[in-house]
Amino acid sequence: MSGIKYKSKEQIERIFYPESVAVVGANRVKGTVPYDMLHNILKDNYKGTVFPVSPREKSIAGVKAYKYVIDIEDEVDMAILVFPSSVCHLALEQCGEKGVKSAIIISAGFREIGGDGVQREKRIKEIADKYGISFIGPNCLGIINTDPGCNLNASFARNMPENGNIAFLSQSGALCTAVLDYARAKHIGFSKFVSFGNKADVSEIDLLYYLKDDPKTKVILLYLEEVSDGRSLMKVSRKIIRESGKPILILKSGRTDEGASAAASHTGSLAGSDDVCDAAFTQAGIIRCDTIEDMFNFAIGLVYQPLPRGNRVAIITNAGGPGVLATDMTIKENLSLARFSEKAKEVLKKSLPGTANICNPVDVIGDARVDRYNVALSSVLQDENVDGALVILTPQSMTDIKAIAEEICRISCCYNKPVYASFMGESDVSIGVDILQRRKIPHYQLPENMCKAFARSYRFNRQLKKEYTAAVVFKDVDTDRAHTILNEAIMNDRWFLSEAETVNIMEAYKMPVLPGILAVSEKDVGRIAGSLGYPVVMKVSSEKIVHKSDVGGVILNIRDGKEAEAAYQTILNKVSRTVPDARINGVFIQKMAAEGEEVILGLKRDPSFGSVIMFGLGGIFVEIFRDVSFRVAPIEKNEVAGMVQDIKSYPILTGVRGRSEKDLESLKECIQRLSQLAVECTQISELDINPLIVMDRGKGCYVTDIKIMLGTERRKSCG
Amino acid sequence: MEKAEVEARIKKVIARVLALDEDEITQEANFIFDLGADSMQSLELVAAFEEEFDIEMEEDEALSAQTVSEAVDFVAKILAKAKKE
Repeated sequence: MSGIKYKSKEQIERIFYPESVAVVGANRVKGTVPYDMLHNILKDNYKGTVFPVSPREKSIAGVKAYKYVIDIEDEVDMAILVFPSSVCHLALEQCGEKGVKSAIIISAGFREIGGDGVQREKRIKEIADKYGISFIGPNCLGIINTDPGCNLNASFARNMPENGNIAFLSQSGALCTAVLDYARAKHIGFSKFVSFGNKADVSEIDLLYYLKDDPKTKVILLYLEEVSDGRSLMKVSRKIIRESGKPILILKSGRTDEGASAAASHTGSLAGSDDVCDAAFTQAGIIRCDTIEDMFNFAIGLVYQPLPRGNRVAIITNAGGPGVLATDMTIKENLSLARFSEKAKEVLKKSLPGTANICNPVDVIGDARVDRYNVALSSVLQDENVDGALVILTPQSMTDIKAIAEEICRISCCYNKPVYASFMGESDVSIGVDILQRRKIPHYQLPENMCKAFARSYRFNRQLKKEYTAAVVFKDVDTDRAHTILNEAIMNDRWFLSEAETVNIMEAYKMPVLPGILAVSEKDVGRIAGSLGYPVVMKVSSEKIVHKSDVGGVILNIRDGKEAEAAYQTILNKVSRTVPDARINGVFIQKMAAEGEEVILGLKRDPSFGSVIMFGLGGIFVEIFRDVSFRVAPIEKNEVAGMVQDIKSYPILTGVRGRSEKDLESLKECIQRLSQLAVECTQISELDINPLIVMDRGKGCYVTDIKIMLGTERRKSCG
Repeated sequence: MEKAEVEARIKKVIARVLALDEDEITQEANFIFDLGADSMQSLELVAAFEEEFDIEMEEDEALSAQTVSEAVDFVAKILAKAKKE
């Protein structure tokens, strides 16, 4: 991934700020894409020069047309290709000859249709590379730049959106038009609006790098159908958040996952691509949204108001029920109700009627007019114990909706604290909602959504303050030793490592593995077990058997030589009955771990995000409880604690109901060592350590059972 | 029929359907990129060629001819085949 070169600021700038544009393939037929593209550019008052290029028309919409782009006497900064896909290569070739350096290819009929389309896309990419043309698309709606200095609507959307500070990037063109319509109704403005389609040249990563430094953009929204380069997405997102403080909100479709069911390890079956995506986004600081509505609900909070410095909110309402709903959601979202200062309480008591509730939520009572909202909102915003205000209104006969909305806007400007509003209802409150939306007070029809949005803004502010630490790199590991074992297995066309090999790999990475030796005959059993020290555990060793206990291949707690010899025969008999065609290498004898808490550590290689580490409560029921957390490797030092704390059963590790606290430091070190192994040994496709026994505090951990699988391609070929 | 005759008649048909001067129509001209035919006009051209030469053409195959010379070759091939039969 590190070899990929992304577009420079200048290359993307030429797409958003061209001084001249040629619409190549334009026609005179209203209601068609070639005509509407040109018409949109003209009607939305583009500040540059437009050249229609049409093989047959002398002029379109009163503008002189050219047969070919090379016929244009002036320089052309950008070409918008609206020809059918079968001739786009001809048009692009001429653009190259003309010296055009950026393009938008609107036409469909490329990679998305398969077959010939794939070849066509390859061809236009080759032409673009030959001439150094950066292009958006193909198969897209186009781009919009609302910057008044440019005003370019190079899309076939119905209307130009309002100017604003939100950038919206989408893989789906059709979704774009729906989003524009939704945003228009709510007076949500955009800085840049991009439908990037098949992203044959300019990708979402290129656009994100550009938006990082775009002064017009304060929040970035991204709709994705596939994450084709997860690691780069994480990298650029971190960079944007850390260096520019701009939030990134992603709506990614496709939450279902069919691939996980085919996995051979616990980790493989638990780490579905969407779980990995969730974990990676959180790790990178990306806000993942479930719906378009959520996305805009969160975005307007983030872009219109200052970020909450703390989580103490004041709720002001003229209705008790909605106040309670908002309180419930406030608590659920880990916000807290502010405790007002005596001074604030005094003002509220003096100014509100005796029946009003002056504690939080402040209930100004159903017949409240603008004066009560004024005093309540001003008092709480002045209070140092309050980090932000949530204002609720329900429309009674005497409620002066317009005046209250205007007062909220006015007061909000006087304090550097966030104010969000929820005017509940639809028709009666619309006059107030319109005022709030136009004057950039985040408005929500439901108070619950208002609380959720406030919580996202608060969490984002915390994210900004978070200190980042690099992943720990252990110097005492023996990477060469691990590589030798892994490469030898690959050369011998094996995709599972034997017990002895897995122990060897664990030792190379200084993981606290219990010693073990393979016994190949009954006569060796007593000697080996004795040398390890009783009690021991004995496990069948066979490349064909992954889940040994399922076939009677494991016996625990063997206390002497006699029991060990008997166990040897029992295992061989059971396994040869259950899996008659399995080639058995012998029985692996391992020192038995003392009692502790069983957890699972795992590794899986994800096609988009690379190595992913899993941690959770271990044992044979791990897939049933699914109490696991994920992180993409390498795991930053301060992410490790969060990973351990993310699981629901975390309190078990800290000591509950008389149980002692476990050795969390040792556990965290094991996770970090596994993370390093994942990064350095890319031959491994899946790995399970189940269980890892975590002893009492100060007594360490023990790796007991390990499974290591090599590349998935190999596995497929093995059937 | 001679190929030159096929070409001349094809150019006449194209000029009529697309309302162009015959001398604008070169052998290498692409129906869409150079002559500006849209999808409806492409279908009209196929029908006009069939009428002009009294032949039947498979639509998808006919539309795969992107240039004038490809259309001439395509029609000439059908005429030759018909003559043999």
